[in-house]
Amino acid sequence: MLREWIIRLRGFLRPSPDETELHDEMRAHLDMEVAELVRRGMAPEAARREALLRAGGLTQAEEAVRDQRGVPWLANLSADWRFAYRALTRARAFSAMVILTLALGLGANTAIFSVVRAVLLKPLPHEDGDRLVYLRQTRDGGENLAFSVPEVREVREGVAALGEVAELSNWTVTMQRTDVTERIPIALVSGNWFRVMGLHALLGRVTDAGNDGPGAAPVAVLTYNGWMKHFGGDASVVGRTVRLDGKPTTVIGVLQPAPFFPGNADALANLVLSEHHMSATMVEGRTHRMTEVVARLAPGATNALAQTQLSAVFARLRQAYPDAYPAGSNFHTAVVPFKAVLGERAELTLWLLMSAAAFVLIIAVANVANLSLMRSVRRQHELVVRASLGAGAGRLRRLLLAENLMLAGAGAALGLLVAWAGVQLLAELASRYSPRAAEVRLDPVCLAFAVTLAFGASLVLAFVGALPGEGNVAALVLSGGRRSSAGRSRQRVQRSLVVVQVAVSVVLLAGAGLLTRTMLRLSDVQTGLRTEEVLSLNVPLVAPSELLRSPDADRAAKVRYDQMRREIAALPGVREAGIGSPGPLRASDVLFEVKAENHPATTGEPPARAELRLAGPEFFDAGGIPMVRGRAFSSTDGPGAALAVVINQALADRLFPGEDPVNRRIAWTGELLKFAPISGDWRTVVGVVANTRDGGLDAVTRPAMYQPFAQTLALGGTLVIRADSGVANLIPSVTRIVRRIAPSAPIEDVRTIAQIRDESVAPRRLNAVLVSSFGILAAFIAMVGIAGVLAFAVSARTNEIGIRMSLGADSMRVQRMIVQEGGTLLAMGLFVGTLGAFVVSGLMRGLLWGVAPNDPLTFVGVTVVLAATGLVACWIPALRAARIDPAVTLRAP
Amino acid sequence: MPPKLDVQQGTLALMILQTLHVLGSLHGYGIARRIEETSNHRLALNYGTLYPALLKLEQQGFIVAKWGASDNNRRAKFYALTAAGRKQLARETREWRETADLIAAFLTPAREI
Repeated sequence: MLREWIIRLRGFLRPSPDETELHDEMRAHLDMEVAELVRRGMAPEAARREALLRAGGLTQAEEAVRDQRGVPWLANLSADWRFAYRALTRARAFSAMVILTLALGLGANTAIFSVVRAVLLKPLPHEDGDRLVYLRQTRDGGENLAFSVPEVREVREGVAALGEVAELSNWTVTMQRTDVTERIPIALVSGNWFRVMGLHALLGRVTDAGNDGPGAAPVAVLTYNGWMKHFGGDASVVGRTVRLDGKPTTVIGVLQPAPFFPGNADALANLVLSEHHMSATMVEGRTHRMTEVVARLAPGATNALAQTQLSAVFARLRQAYPDAYPAGSNFHTAVVPFKAVLGERAELTLWLLMSAAAFVLIIAVANVANLSLMRSVRRQHELVVRASLGAGAGRLRRLLLAENLMLAGAGAALGLLVAWAGVQLLAELASRYSPRAAEVRLDPVCLAFAVTLAFGASLVLAFVGALPGEGNVAALVLSGGRRSSAGRSRQRVQRSLVVVQVAVSVVLLAGAGLLTRTMLRLSDVQTGLRTEEVLSLNVPLVAPSELLRSPDADRAAKVRYDQMRREIAALPGVREAGIGSPGPLRASDVLFEVKAENHPATTGEPPARAELRLAGPEFFDAGGIPMVRGRAFSSTDGPGAALAVVINQALADRLFPGEDPVNRRIAWTGELLKFAPISGDWRTVVGVVANTRDGGLDAVTRPAMYQPFAQTLALGGTLVIRADSGVANLIPSVTRIVRRIAPSAPIEDVRTIAQIRDESVAPRRLNAVLVSSFGILAAFIAMVGIAGVLAFAVSARTNEIGIRMSLGADSMRVQRMIVQEGGTLLAMGLFVGTLGAFVVSGLMRGLLWGVAPNDPLTFVGVTVVLAATGLVACWIPALRAARIDPAVTLRAP
Repeated sequence: MPPKLDVQQGTLALMILQTLHVLGSLHGYGIARRIEETSNHRLALNYGTLYPALLKLEQQGFIVAKWGASDNNRRAKFYALTAAGRKQLARETREWRETADLIAAFLTPAREI
């Protein structure tokens, strides 16, 4: 078998030499036959004719031998390509339409696939990354709490299904180098963290168990990003010493590039760097949860087993330490595969986009299939002629395949350009959701994906077009190849394709509508602030660890903050400037339980918790935060004075429902307070401010308690500046003042309220824009599809319509007939699509906000818009049908 | 004369090999003649059937071709069995017999029990 093909392939490559030999051989055969017949007494002429008759056609025989000798389809292939190219350049409008449609469909799919692959599918760069898990402890179904060191100890001892368990704690330090001081995010890790994660050093080495414990010297491993960002990828950094929070720390290595989770880190240091992490508070505090846990599944253990064991451990802990797990707070622990945790926020969005793109491709292919069908009818004549000249069905099919491959190939090439542009945009989107976005690129797998799609599409296309069958060749040749109307089955295919297109458009547009409404609802959300002309910037002057060590540092910082505030307030155009922390519309991550005097908490109910926020006397006015009751802080609420607080409406509703909170006393409470430099003394409520959307526009406002800036350690400092207009123009003069007063302090998060608001809406806006453009594209293609199919039906029925009109049908009647035909398809598509949209919108519930998945306005709107445009699309061919002149049509040959 | 049959796919190769086995080296005309005669003229071989089959057997290495002179001194291409061809003939003959037996058994009217 193989041997035969090798010889045949050789025959294909060297076709000529045997040619005369074959001719000679057959000639000899013929001569012998003639001679034999003559010998039997036939006349030479008759003998010759008889011999030729028996031979059965010399040329055909030679052709058959040639087919056996070489690889005929290979020989035909180049001819097919040349032919396809000529045929397509003749049908220019058709080709352009098809290539463009396919390019958009293929491009969108490839671009989104590349993101899906990088974020969700590709194996982790970590060694044996599939065995890596992340442990999560949540409370009240949402908030990720992390673990306390005693809890980690229990996990290590009690969960046998977890092999090695490593700890990580996100931290912020001030990094001092010779000329720059900046605050950088780092992570403090246990020595085994690198081994558990399966990550290696790119340069130098990583830490190990020898770097654990209080006696070790502080060392740091730079993450790849940190190395690039702060040291420009300079290899000589290994072995150098930097000062982190004032402590000389040796850089011992650079880590391989890898997605980082949770949080972000420019460097990873051993725990000794932070006194806090070595303190009894941290090591012994059961509720002091600031440690993230990663682990490797033990050999043979499954995720489910680890989950069972982990739940058992924590069920026991909740029994043993009820104080650490307040009743009613719904503590929950979970074992999550590390790969899943990296992609989980992106998953829903990405699958949404992937399916939207797939829908567009379906519509595109359906439309191209329709175009091809129509074209195949128009070229029926040509195909019949080819068939009658001896092209077999296989050969014709191949011809169509070559054409379609050429179209799909051109579509794919153009599509890759589209994808290349799209990937840049999408990587940006993905980076909001997943640390793996950095891995997004158009790699060979994505290219293979595009090529496979293109090839699949062309196969589909090559086989929808019908070939002239045995039966109709003769009939068509006899009729002179006059265009016959499309057969019933073909019309059925065309019509179902139109129904599919309309249905898929409905689904896409409904999805787009819901996302757009979500985005609009979000943009309409009132921030709770009186104005958007507010600028805020963080200026951290002292590290928290330093504050705890020396009260002087705190006092000095406050003096400098006040100086900045006063100078900024004096700038022309500034209405008010204040100091506080965090700024308006930013959430505080410091939360404690609170209690009200004479209001015992009802048992079983989770304790009230509130954000700790700081505000100077001018903060509320400068930030545009409305006072609802009582007063703002004043300069008399100073260090020695009675403890005063302002609470937000949410806390007032929680602690004093239906009562006036002003002059009532409240206090921080709970386990966590032990570890904070905050007292649990009673504080008098002096005022209530309105709720503001601090956790993002789509988040419910959390209860918050503001303490006077002057009465609290300066854990953070955010300058808040309000102007009448153009507050962004103040940025240069404001930073100049800050720089002068605190030359080495970092300036972070310089934002106007309008910007913060915009950033909160932006990801949803991008979702809405992407899906909407897919939807509009799909609807457009579907409308072109309807109009095309009807126009084609009209042209095929010209004769029939002519007869109807000559028998008395007026143009209205003809129009109605055609519109009715299209309207039926449209109605079917709308019906099927609406059903599909209900299913799909349920699936995307998690991406919606403020809009129900079956939002009637969206559904009715989409149906009406599509029905209206669809009818217009039907009317164009209907008008053409009505303009048919019966006299001309009937007299036509 | 009984009606002419088409050569069944796959059987032609066996007929050619058997012909060459019986008659030794032979040209295309001779092979065609012999097959037609053996079949009692129920089979008719046209060139388009015969020559591709010969070429295929040659490509498979079962026969070899050589130019030579025919009985009446005409230049003709002679085909002859190779060792592989002989083995193939034996195998195909055996397989064909088995198939024939099997089909015969199937087509024999069932006996009453």
